[in-house]
Amino acid sequence: MENQTEVPRGIIHFAVLNEALNLARANSLWPMTFGLACCAIEMMATGASRFDMARFGCEVFRPSPRQSDLMIVSGTVNKKMAPAVVRLYDQMPEPKWVLAMGNCAISGGPFKFPGQYAVVEGVDKLIPVDVYVPGCPPRPEALIEGVLKLEEKLTGKRRWPVVKPA
Amino acid sequence: MALESLLKQLAAVALCGPAEAGATATSHAARGSDAEVTVAPGRVVEAVQLLDAAGFMVEAITGVDWLAEQQMEVVYDFTLVATGERVVVRTRVPRAQPEVPTISRIYPGADWHEREAHDFFGIVFMGHPNLHPLLLPEDADFHPLRKDFGA
Amino acid sequence: MSTTAQSLHEEMFVLNLGPQHPATHGVLRIKLMMDGEYIADAESVIGYGHRMQEKMGENRTYAKFLPNTGRMDYVAAMFNTHGYVCAVEKLAGLRVPERAEYIRVITAELNRVASHLLWLGAFLIDLGGFTPLLYTFDDREQILDLLEGLTGTRLTYCYYRFGGVCNDVDDAFLAGSRQFVARMRARMPMYHALITKNIIFRKRCEEIGPITAEQCRKYGATGPVIRGSGVAYDVRKAEPYGAYPQLDFNVPVYPQGDCLARYMVRLDEIVESLRLVEQALDRLPGGPVMAEKVPRLLKPPKGDCYFNVESARGSFGVRLFSDGTDKAYRLKLRSPCFSNLSLFRECSRGMLLADALALLGSLDLIIPDIDR
Repeated sequence: MENQTEVPRGIIHFAVLNEALNLARANSLWPMTFGLACCAIEMMATGASRFDMARFGCEVFRPSPRQSDLMIVSGTVNKKMAPAVVRLYDQMPEPKWVLAMGNCAISGGPFKFPGQYAVVEGVDKLIPVDVYVPGCPPRPEALIEGVLKLEEKLTGKRRWPVVKPA
Repeated sequence: MALESLLKQLAAVALCGPAEAGATATSHAARGSDAEVTVAPGRVVEAVQLLDAAGFMVEAITGVDWLAEQQMEVVYDFTLVATGERVVVRTRVPRAQPEVPTISRIYPGADWHEREAHDFFGIVFMGHPNLHPLLLPEDADFHPLRKDFGA
Repeated sequence: MSTTAQSLHEEMFVLNLGPQHPATHGVLRIKLMMDGEYIADAESVIGYGHRMQEKMGENRTYAKFLPNTGRMDYVAAMFNTHGYVCAVEKLAGLRVPERAEYIRVITAELNRVASHLLWLGAFLIDLGGFTPLLYTFDDREQILDLLEGLTGTRLTYCYYRFGGVCNDVDDAFLAGSRQFVARMRARMPMYHALITKNIIFRKRCEEIGPITAEQCRKYGATGPVIRGSGVAYDVRKAEPYGAYPQLDFNVPVYPQGDCLARYMVRLDEIVESLRLVEQALDRLPGGPVMAEKVPRLLKPPKGDCYFNVESARGSFGVRLFSDGTDKAYRLKLRSPCFSNLSLFRECSRGMLLADALALLGSLDLIIPDIDR
């Protein structure tokens, strides 16, 4: 009666252990090096020593999707590139999250206009996105804030102070 | 001096008539090139061979869609690195059947430029070894920079 | 033994490099036919970053297209804007005031240094050395702070306007630029000690990836690629524009044609750019930074022209066709990386894969610049 291909959920509940697992996942998000365009440079700058994303757990940028759990889509997704994006997302093991960095990944950005034949207007048309970080390109601080928002989504509470403009 | 003798050689290949300018020297400051020559499509290879013998480098190949005149134009930009001189070769083809002989046998770098012009306009470069889409997806069958392309 | 040799069946295999790969500098895909570890053929497949910039150039007014220029070659965005703006100014007959020309030189050369620093870090990562990236990005951040204070953005600048620049420089920028020039000059010996004298780097780059001057000519390769093959072609000297004729600088040329030569050209170019920035700061004249009476909606007269600038990666050209309206009829963007990559197929034949990646890195490619 039950569909053989469905994975039954909720057979075993871990309760407090689940929270601990989520905390561990939030603290060690390994991003995949998926730079498509300009935002990739700001992503590299975020990983460099001034902004240092490694402080927040994104220590190693894995080139292989099979070893990463966060896909930072930084840059314009093109119709030619779309199958590759979906394939990479499928290759990532669960649990996985997607951060759409930059206006192009959110909605097509500066390349959204009628008659556009090449750009996919927003990566959420292809894969589910967890956090959107707007900007063209977003500052490294904005990308870090996006990662912290994702951690808040994972653990349920924000563990880092919110930066208030001076 | 070398440019003048080159212009004379190009004049033999060029089209001269009420609409075409033939081979003329132009102002670099005003036009961005030192000489321009308009040729018939069948004589493009000859003109480019003269430029290759003079040591020019192929810089760009531009396609233009002149919808009102029902023609397509191919503009070749060449540079002489030793002096910074530029020569432009132009040719026009009918829009319904845009065919130009390829220059990729003389300049291998023109291979990709011609593929791009084919992608955008549908200009067929006869004799090109591999006229498959370069910038568009492999199965693309549209030519987006044509003026009547409405996505 | 002979039977084992006969029963060994050799064949070539196809290896797909990219479009997602740490060493392809963006979304480049290369179909490699491999004979063991040696490359028999390398066909580049591009178009994964194609964003139809040229079509947008026809559908946007001249001013509305300005932000697009910063997104093409985003690491050296000033040059793209410079080429486009100068092409339009040529057609429209606008004269740029001298102060604006000098400011353009200062910002462009600072951008060149930032671009070369980024290339240096990325190139070393391709070869496997992670440390220099941290140093180069640190220096690059100094430049980005200066340019951010001036233009408002860190990466994809849109600072030049038709007839001049958007806003004037302030004292903080001028003082900061001088400090940066002094600091960067003092840092260059450190880079040479860290990288140039490193035996692993030398073995990976010396005599690897040779490109001859004739190949550069046939493929249209310009910039550090042609200067690393012994040809002293620099658009700033061959077809001078802006304030460059009044400034004194050398064009570094190395004849060997290998990856090390291209690396040395870029490092020497950083030093020359610092000289240019210093001279331009010393000679910065007073006056307006914008031409007078520039119409809000620019309609250049009918015609076409070509303008090229020496970008950090080579000769960036713009062929602009105007039909007298407020939108360009045809905007052709000649990308330096497009021609530089086209010679990869011929030059990588018979190379080891690791050496081919060193060659690819030394070409300094930005894929959205190729794909436009």
